[in-house]
Amino acid sequence: MAWRWFHQWGSPRWFYERASRWQAWAGWIAVILLAVGTVWGLAIAPVDYQQGHSYRIIYLHVPVSFLAQALYLAMAIAAAVLLVWRMKLADVAMQSLAIVGFAFCVLALASGAIWGKPTWGTYWVWDARLTSMLILAFLYLGIIGLRSAMLDPNTAGKACAILALVGAINLPIIKYSVEWWNTLHQPASLTLTEKPAMPASMWVPLLINICGYYAAAAYLVFASMRGLVLHRERRAQWVRELVGAHD
Amino acid sequence: MGIEWRIIQREWRLVMARPGEVLKPMWFLLLVISLIPLALSPDSTLLAEIGPAMIWVATLLAILLNMDHLFKDDYSEGVLEQWLFWSRPFAWCVAIKLLTHWLFYILPLILMTPIVGLMLSIEADVIAVLLVTLLVATPALTCFSGLGGALTLGAARSGVLGVLVMLPLFVPVVILAAGVITRTTDGAGVGPLLALLAAFSLGAAILMPLAIAAAIRLNIGGST
Amino acid sequence: MTLELKHLHCERDDRVLFRDISQCVKRGEILRVAGPNGAGKTTLLRMIAGLFEADGEVLWEGAPLSAIPESVLYIGHAPQVTRELTVQANLQFLSGATLEAVRHALQAVGLRGYDDSLVRELSQGQKRRVALARLWLESRPLWILDEPYTALDVEMVAVLDQRIKQHTQAQGVCLLTTHQPPQQLDYRTLELGHGH
Repeated sequence: MAWRWFHQWGSPRWFYERASRWQAWAGWIAVILLAVGTVWGLAIAPVDYQQGHSYRIIYLHVPVSFLAQALYLAMAIAAAVLLVWRMKLADVAMQSLAIVGFAFCVLALASGAIWGKPTWGTYWVWDARLTSMLILAFLYLGIIGLRSAMLDPNTAGKACAILALVGAINLPIIKYSVEWWNTLHQPASLTLTEKPAMPASMWVPLLINICGYYAAAAYLVFASMRGLVLHRERRAQWVRELVGAHD
Repeated sequence: MGIEWRIIQREWRLVMARPGEVLKPMWFLLLVISLIPLALSPDSTLLAEIGPAMIWVATLLAILLNMDHLFKDDYSEGVLEQWLFWSRPFAWCVAIKLLTHWLFYILPLILMTPIVGLMLSIEADVIAVLLVTLLVATPALTCFSGLGGALTLGAARSGVLGVLVMLPLFVPVVILAAGVITRTTDGAGVGPLLALLAAFSLGAAILMPLAIAAAIRLNIGGST
Repeated sequence: MTLELKHLHCERDDRVLFRDISQCVKRGEILRVAGPNGAGKTTLLRMIAGLFEADGEVLWEGAPLSAIPESVLYIGHAPQVTRELTVQANLQFLSGATLEAVRHALQAVGLRGYDDSLVRELSQGQKRRVALARLWLESRPLWILDEPYTALDVEMVAVLDQRIKQHTQAQGVCLLTTHQPPQQLDYRTLELGHGH
C-alpha cells in the first residue's frame, strides 16, 4: 500500500492528471479568499491611528513575506526528498518552488519599499526584516542561477538540492544574525509588521488574505510543475497523445 | 606514505610550481584597499573608521576569487576522480584539501592585514582584533567557497556564478566579525561573539566537507 | 566468480544506452567492451568503477564493489596527471609509491630519465604513458582501462599487452575498451549496440 502510494507519486502522468484538479481547486479558493480579504482589508477595515491608510499594504506585504519564507522551507523539503529518495517529481517541485518563491520575495521587497516611503520617508531602510528578505532573494537567485548554468539536468537538480539544504541550515542563522545586527545599529526603530494589539477587524481580513495567498502560491506551483512535467516527459507516449502530436 | 600527507605534499609542490597563484589574491587585496582612499578621501579618521569593514569585505572577495583553484583543474584533468578510489573516505580527503588550501592560500592573505590596516590608519589594537576575527572566521569562508567551486564544476559558464551563489551564505560570518570589531572599538567584551564565530567555523568545517564531497561526486557522475 | 554485473541499466537524456547487462568475469579473465561511438562503453566502465551510482548491481567476490573502491584501478580518457607537476610528483601522489618504484615503473613504460620533467613538457603519448605507469606501481586486483591504447606507439602497445597478461596470470581481472581488437590478448567481448 505504502509502496503503491510512493510509486504513484513517482509517476509523472498520475501527477499531471491529479495536479490539474488540485490546481483548479487552489485557483478557486484563492480567488474567493483574496476577493473577500482584500475588499475587507482595503475598504472595510478601520484606519490605523498611527499610519493612516498606508498600513493597508500589510494585506499584501505580510502574506507574500510569509510565503517567500514558507516556499523556501518547502523547497528545502523537496530537496531532501530528491536527495534521499531520488524522486524526480521532487526535482520538478524544487524548480517550481524556487521561481514562485523568488517572485513572492520580490513582491515582498517591493511592497516593503513602497510601505517604507510613507512610514520612514524613504524607500529603503536597512530594517532587519527587509534585509533578511533581500538575502533570501539572493539565495533564491543563486539556486535559479545554478540550475540554469549546469549542463546536465540531472546533476543540476541535485546540485541545487545540496545548495538549498545548505541554505536552509543557514537561513535561521542569517535571520538571527541580521536581527542582532539591526538592534546593534538602530535600537528600537519602528518595525513594519509588529503591531501589538491589532483589533479583530484588522487581523481577520489579514488572516483570510494569508490563506488566500497560500492558495494562490499553490495554484502557481501546480501550474508551473505541470508545465515542467510535460516538458520533461515530452517524448513519452501519453504526452504526445495529450498534445495531439503526430510523428 | 599516508594519503593525508600526499595531499599536503602535492599542494605544496603546486604552490612552488606556480607561486603567482598565492600572490594574486594578496595583490587583489592591496589594490582594492588602495582604491578606497582614492574613491573616498584620504582623511585618516574616516579611513580608520570604515577600514576594518573594508578589509573584511576585500578579504572575503579575495578568498572567493580563489575558489576555482580548489577543484576546477583537478576535476577537468581527471585527477579528482582518482580520489574516489582511495581507501579513505572522500569527504575526509576533501577536508584535508580544504585545510591545505587554507594554509597555503588563505593564511598568507590574512597575514597581509597589518599592512593594509596601516594603509587605512587603523590602530594597532583594532588590527589585532581584525586579525583574530579573520583567523577564526576564514575556515568557514574557505568551506563555503569550496562548496561554491564544487557545485559549479559542471556549469557551462561557471566564472562568477560560484561567487554569486555563495556570497549570501557569508552574511552571518560578516555580521559576527563586524560585531566583534565594533565592540572592541567601543571597549566592550568580545568573548561570547568570538566563541559564536568559532562555533560557526567549526560547524562549517565538520559539515561542509560532506556537502562538498557530495557535490563533487555528483558532478563526476554527471560528466559521463 | 569474481566480478559480477547484474542487470546494469543506463538512460541518458531519455535515451537508453544499455539495458539489462549481466556478466560474470572470473579471475584471470579479460573482458573487452566493444561497440560503436556513443554506445555507452565509457559510461558502462565508469558505472562499474563506481564513479556514479549503478542502476543494477556490481559485485566483487559477492559484495558491492562500491564499498571497496580501493580494489579498482581506473584509467579513463582524461589525462589524470597535473600539467604543472613533475612526472615523479604526479605518480607519487596518485600511487603513494617510493621514488625507487616510480623510477622502475617509468623505465617499464619507456620514460627513463623523465622523472623530473614537467608533465606539460611531454607529448600526448608520453602523458598517456605516465598515466599507464600506475599499472606497474599499484597492486589492485580489478583494472578498468578506457581506451588504454590511444596515442600509444606499436612498441608501447606490446609492453602494455604484456603487462595486462602478467596481471591476469596473477589472478587479476581486466576490463577494457578498445577500437582495434588487441592482437596478443585472450579476451571475451561484450558488444554494446544502439538500444542493446
